[in-house]
Amino acid sequence: MGSSKLEEFRSRRAKIEEGGGGKRIEEQHTKGKLTARERMNLLFDKGSFVELDVFVKDRCVRIGMEKVDAPGEGVITGYGLVDGRPVYAYSQDFTVMGGSLGEVHAQKIRKVQDLALGMGAPIVAMNDSGGARIQEGVDALSGYGQIFYRNTLASGVIPQISAIMGPCAGGAVYSPALTDFVFMVDQTSQMFITGPQITKVATGEEVTMEQLGGAMTHNKTSGVAHFIAENDEACIEQIKKLLSFLPSNNLETAPETDITNDINKIVPELDQIVPEDSEKRYDMKDLIRILADDGEFFEVHKYYAQNIITGFVRISGQSIGIVANQPGVLAGCLDINASDKAARFVRTCDCFNVPIVTIVDVPGFLPGIEQEYGGIIRHGSKLLYAYAEATVLKVTLIVRKAYGGAYIAMCSKDLGADMVLAWPTAEIAVMGPESAANIIFKKEIAESEDPQSARLEKIEQYKNEISTPYWAAERGFVDDIIEPSTTKFRVVDALNMLASKRKTRPARKHGNLPL
Amino acid sequence: MRKFNITVNGVSYEVEVEEVVSGASPNAISAPAAKPSEPAPVAEPAKESVPAAKPASSTAVPEGSTAIEAPMPGNIWKVEVKEGQEVKAGDVLLILEAMKMENEILAPADGVVASIHVAQGASVNGGDILVSLK
Repeated sequence: MGSSKLEEFRSRRAKIEEGGGGKRIEEQHTKGKLTARERMNLLFDKGSFVELDVFVKDRCVRIGMEKVDAPGEGVITGYGLVDGRPVYAYSQDFTVMGGSLGEVHAQKIRKVQDLALGMGAPIVAMNDSGGARIQEGVDALSGYGQIFYRNTLASGVIPQISAIMGPCAGGAVYSPALTDFVFMVDQTSQMFITGPQITKVATGEEVTMEQLGGAMTHNKTSGVAHFIAENDEACIEQIKKLLSFLPSNNLETAPETDITNDINKIVPELDQIVPEDSEKRYDMKDLIRILADDGEFFEVHKYYAQNIITGFVRISGQSIGIVANQPGVLAGCLDINASDKAARFVRTCDCFNVPIVTIVDVPGFLPGIEQEYGGIIRHGSKLLYAYAEATVLKVTLIVRKAYGGAYIAMCSKDLGADMVLAWPTAEIAVMGPESAANIIFKKEIAESEDPQSARLEKIEQYKNEISTPYWAAERGFVDDIIEPSTTKFRVVDALNMLASKRKTRPARKHGNLPL
Repeated sequence: MRKFNITVNGVSYEVEVEEVVSGASPNAISAPAAKPSEPAPVAEPAKESVPAAKPASSTAVPEGSTAIEAPMPGNIWKVEVKEGQEVKAGDVLLILEAMKMENEILAPADGVVASIHVAQGASVNGGDILVSLK
């Protein structure tokens, strides 16, 4: 090969790899953001990233576009290894035309999406884009549509992870929304359908960009995002951590780690964790950490609907999804948001063969006009549906309250739990002692000489005879009542016993999840 | 049904006021008729209909203070603070007995208790203002 040709190739490639060039890269850094390429290099194991479509160029010649040079078309795509496992990724380059999405930008994304789905490997999308490239008109819109279509095809087949690391507005938000997990970087990322300016014109509401669509807004208020990170580096670290809990695709199981602690350990603290007085709070996360290998809990949706807890742990080296009520927040009630959050998580685990351990302490569904008008019936049914539909192995641990419809919803035996364990502190009944006594013994209480003490007596009777785990265990709805201190090894044992579970569902196009 | 013009914080609202007989309305978002601790502001029923106001806010929140609302319906089990008392973020303000739990209502930030809107034993709806902090 003539050296001049090699020179030309090198200079062409180097120019494209520079993206928007020095000044724009500097601006990106000033904002506290990394460049698209720096992000890719952080995500992949050192030296493993292979870039695709370096040389592609747009075909648009309208309204002055023929004079515009857009290196790499504003997006870097490719594949590599993350902790030794193949992963596909794309990273939008804000330094090139604001990372705007045109026909060919979308075409690059499509190619890498098709590869990820075809090979059965996860895809990570790093979003940092001003939106559609207006000059490319309907071609840009078509580009979005094709990405959304592929997001949907890949859903439940390969893990799809989105990171919002800059603006993500208008139609662009729907690709992340269609994926399994959304990360946002604090202060430097925003997601909204319409920005603050249009919001003001349309509704008169004045709101800042951060309030409207910042990372905390979507982590806490809307639930659109599952994770928040303080900067790009931390975000990418979290993505890698999440990937470690997931398999590469729906036909595999998540990688196991070495067992580092004694799984047969008796944990006396567990005997004390639930307070004697069943109206007192405790932190459910303490219990989760005790069950988890090395006390490590990777929480999903940490700030949203905190009355229910979702996240990943390792138990005996195996990746496990945890769903647990949090008695300290809204008494641990199931409400609209908690139902949506848990249902989504259960389905995510089921898609990717991650066993689910459900820890129950639920007083019921949250009463109130707001909940009823908001459709708690519709939203609550998602949780029932998700658990009933899930074929992955399901272990349920009832530690305290399990009342009424919420008992059923929290992966009861009848929704297909493979193993239900209960602590002696469990209270399983249609409703709480106070309300139940008022109804069942209404007449006795009214007719007694001292209704007040008669009522207390009946409440006590109900507590002792009905609100216990024994009735449920007599019927086999609870497989065993266990000493709390033995919980860890009983859960490990149940997971081992169930490891070879086979479950099929009747063939159909798809179920009709209530939405 | 009677019409009033009402000015709240300098904004004028036309409101329609209907007297509600206790327990008659299925949408019982109006303030519970007689809570012992309430200063019973005269224009109260009108305020309920102001579009910007949150439903079920039973008393006026003092200017510049933060309202702590009931997260769900229940009974006030204990009031742990007094008006004028200094509190730190995370301090227990009161305990709401609801859904078979004693729910501790915590101060979201450091401040001073500007006013307490409920008395021990009162039953509250979700969204009712319990305490305001300055």
